[in-house]
Amino acid sequence: MVGKISWKAVFGLVVILIALVVSVAVVSAQEPVVGVYANSSEVVVFWDPSEGFSNEVIVMNEVYETLVRYDIVTGEFTPVLATSYESTADGLTWTFHLREGVKFHTGGEMDAEAVKFSIDRTIAGEKGAFYIWDPVESIEAKDKYTVVFHLSYPAAIDIAASAPYCAHIFDPDFSDRDWFYEGNDSGTGPYTIESNEGNEIVILKKFDDYWGGWEGEHFDKVLFQWVPEEGTRRLMVESGEADFCQRLAASELEALKGVPGVEIVSVPSFQSLVAMFNTAKSADEPIGNPLVRKALLYALNYDGVVEGVMGGYAQQSRGVVPLGLWGHSDQVKQYTFSPTTAKLLLEQAGYPSGGFKLMLTYVAGDENERRTAELWKSELAKLGVELEIRGLPWEAQVDLGSAEDPNNRQDIFLFYWWPDFPDPHSFLSQMFETQPLLFNFSYYSNPVYDALINVAKQKALLEREAAIELYLEAQNIIMEDAAGVAIYDMSSQRAKQTSLKGYVDNPAYSHVVFWYNCYREE
Amino acid sequence: MTAYVVRRLGLALIVVFGVSVFAFLLTVVVPSNPAMRWVGPHAKLEQIEKARIELGLDKPVHVRYFKYISAFLRGDWGVSIRTHQPVLQDIATYLPASVELIIFGMFLGFTVGIPLGIVSAVRDGTMVDHSSRVFSLVGVALPTFWLGMILQLVFFKQLGLFPLAGRVAMMTRFTAPIEHITGFYLFDSLITGNFTAFGSALSHIVLPGITLAAYPLGLSARMTRATMLEVLGEDYIRTARACGLRERRILGVYALRNAIGPVITVGALTFAYSLAETFLIESVFTWPGLGQYASKAILSVDYPAIMGVTLLVAFTYVLLNLLVDLTQTFLDPRIRLG
Repeated sequence: MVGKISWKAVFGLVVILIALVVSVAVVSAQEPVVGVYANSSEVVVFWDPSEGFSNEVIVMNEVYETLVRYDIVTGEFTPVLATSYESTADGLTWTFHLREGVKFHTGGEMDAEAVKFSIDRTIAGEKGAFYIWDPVESIEAKDKYTVVFHLSYPAAIDIAASAPYCAHIFDPDFSDRDWFYEGNDSGTGPYTIESNEGNEIVILKKFDDYWGGWEGEHFDKVLFQWVPEEGTRRLMVESGEADFCQRLAASELEALKGVPGVEIVSVPSFQSLVAMFNTAKSADEPIGNPLVRKALLYALNYDGVVEGVMGGYAQQSRGVVPLGLWGHSDQVKQYTFSPTTAKLLLEQAGYPSGGFKLMLTYVAGDENERRTAELWKSELAKLGVELEIRGLPWEAQVDLGSAEDPNNRQDIFLFYWWPDFPDPHSFLSQMFETQPLLFNFSYYSNPVYDALINVAKQKALLEREAAIELYLEAQNIIMEDAAGVAIYDMSSQRAKQTSLKGYVDNPAYSHVVFWYNCYREE
Repeated sequence: MTAYVVRRLGLALIVVFGVSVFAFLLTVVVPSNPAMRWVGPHAKLEQIEKARIELGLDKPVHVRYFKYISAFLRGDWGVSIRTHQPVLQDIATYLPASVELIIFGMFLGFTVGIPLGIVSAVRDGTMVDHSSRVFSLVGVALPTFWLGMILQLVFFKQLGLFPLAGRVAMMTRFTAPIEHITGFYLFDSLITGNFTAFGSALSHIVLPGITLAAYPLGLSARMTRATMLEVLGEDYIRTARACGLRERRILGVYALRNAIGPVITVGALTFAYSLAETFLIESVFTWPGLGQYASKAILSVDYPAIMGVTLLVAFTYVLLNLLVDLTQTFLDPRIRLG
């Protein structure tokens, strides 16, 4: 009896084991190779490629393509949907020669009419980063594979054509806004949208007819997931559940150092933390006095911020244009931490013991901004200056900064700036040029400065060196007037699996992986 | 009974209307700029102004409110400023995940908490009672996000027994995708015979479920103990014992039935409360539920989403209260409605 039961039990166990092995083998054979991107915020905000302006950059640049792509390593433009391009000597006419045989995910073929339609639609919609096409007067589909841009003033249209937002080409026959917002795409990219769960989980699948082909190793699918909790994102990377995470707090990055199979990639970004001083307050207000503003700049412990707050993942800014972007210059005046100088300046301004209060606002929830402000507060306290720090939601911070009476606004506005496309004008114009208030939270107005940056913009294409000189002069004016300061240029720290190969960070496409170029090394 | 139900539903509508006015006014009063959020970062002034008009934010408050309510009653709950999707669609996407988690957690909490409370009451004053009370207190007092993180560290990182986050394993989405019927992964996978996905969904809900269960477990245990102690001191219980009825029958049929009423009331309120208050658990476990949606809506002053979630939760509260009151009459025939 015992023997019979034993044989039956053994036989049953073997059958079960075989079934399990077979089922696992079958499942394994069917499993696609999936890349996982753990994102710190919702994956997609704007589904319409003519409206792009936010987090969706990480998805859109996988499913859509631009005419050219800016290569940060070489500083040149690599062909994508356009195989070549040229411009006239006066920079007013740009001709792009398109790649033939490129298919849209929706079935049609990409041609000059599609390019014209896509960009015309973006310009007409006046949403997102449409203003990158500001110089364009008209677009001509010269023949099936030739597009000509006619400009109203000389400009580097290749920069606009390479932008991560609002430069994508899509199928004119599938361009209904509601259709896009249902989670569809009509791009030409290597991946197409397979599914979307509430903009929090977006899955892409490979487009079999992609013009670049699928030779070699590639990911079959890419899963983007919004993982709001820092600790959870770190654990996902640590356990191998996520291949890539674009942002983690310094403390989480420290915890990942030395973990087998994980690497931290630190690369320069074009993002800076900027402090804007309220220059519009009346002269009898402390912040309205340039000497006081300079004292504030000397009272900030820049090294303390870089090391203590950013954990070394940043460097003190020099000027407004960040390191790595053309227009950045080592010749721009840079303030250093010097409490003695700060005290002297306060004495000259008539505040030998401080004795006044300032209000600083920052975006609530951003720990780096808060800690930078706290460090500044502690140094100012030694000079007898009280700094009130207020964390506010972004819209509320802007609302306060837009108050009718400048005296009711903050004294110091702290926020991040990054360019919509890689051009210094984005920094210098939007933050310090005289304009109806939007991001000029120093309320700075200097006709000389305005003229300098606008002339530089005109010269940027054909007289690059002259433009750089003009931008240098403009930045020094900002520093001399102490309208504000870029405190640090951040570097981006990406946490990734060492098995994820082919990834090259490109600050011109912030947070974008370009999964087509990547593969997992087993 | 019918008249009572109709009257209560009428009162419910008044309550929900009041909540809608209050919530709408709050979204107007709180400093924000929905138009700026709508157009995205780095937007130009003209774009923001255009969006302000497009969203109807240039209209007077009372006009905006009446426009919103009339559209709401027609089934148009507005478009989320943050997600750019219809709010009703967003809620339909996120709600099943929350409801599934809450049902699982509440079921776990009450099936452990109520017997614990009974045992605690029966063994009043003993070590069992003291231990149970401490355990209940810990369950109520522990911060949910902390508990969730500890469970992740222990059961995922150290022991590797349960998954870290999400509703289902990533690979399951591709190899055994769950057919969407109700949005409840456990139910949908079970009725379609997708046992691979069922197993995955079950393993994924355990840790967030335990985290959520801690509070109702503690609450139900303490409440059950308190009401049972009161009931067990009644004359009819003493009489039942004197008549020689089995203790199990006395506790389960006579005592518990009389003691369970307040526990059910609290349970229903906890359920409604949890709909939007589980955001910490959902955040830690990357659980795509209504709590996270609501918290993001609040932080971004996404007023259509705030209104949608607020009205949904308000209506759920009043409906559950009505159901609880009706349930009480079945449990205790002495209770009369009206």
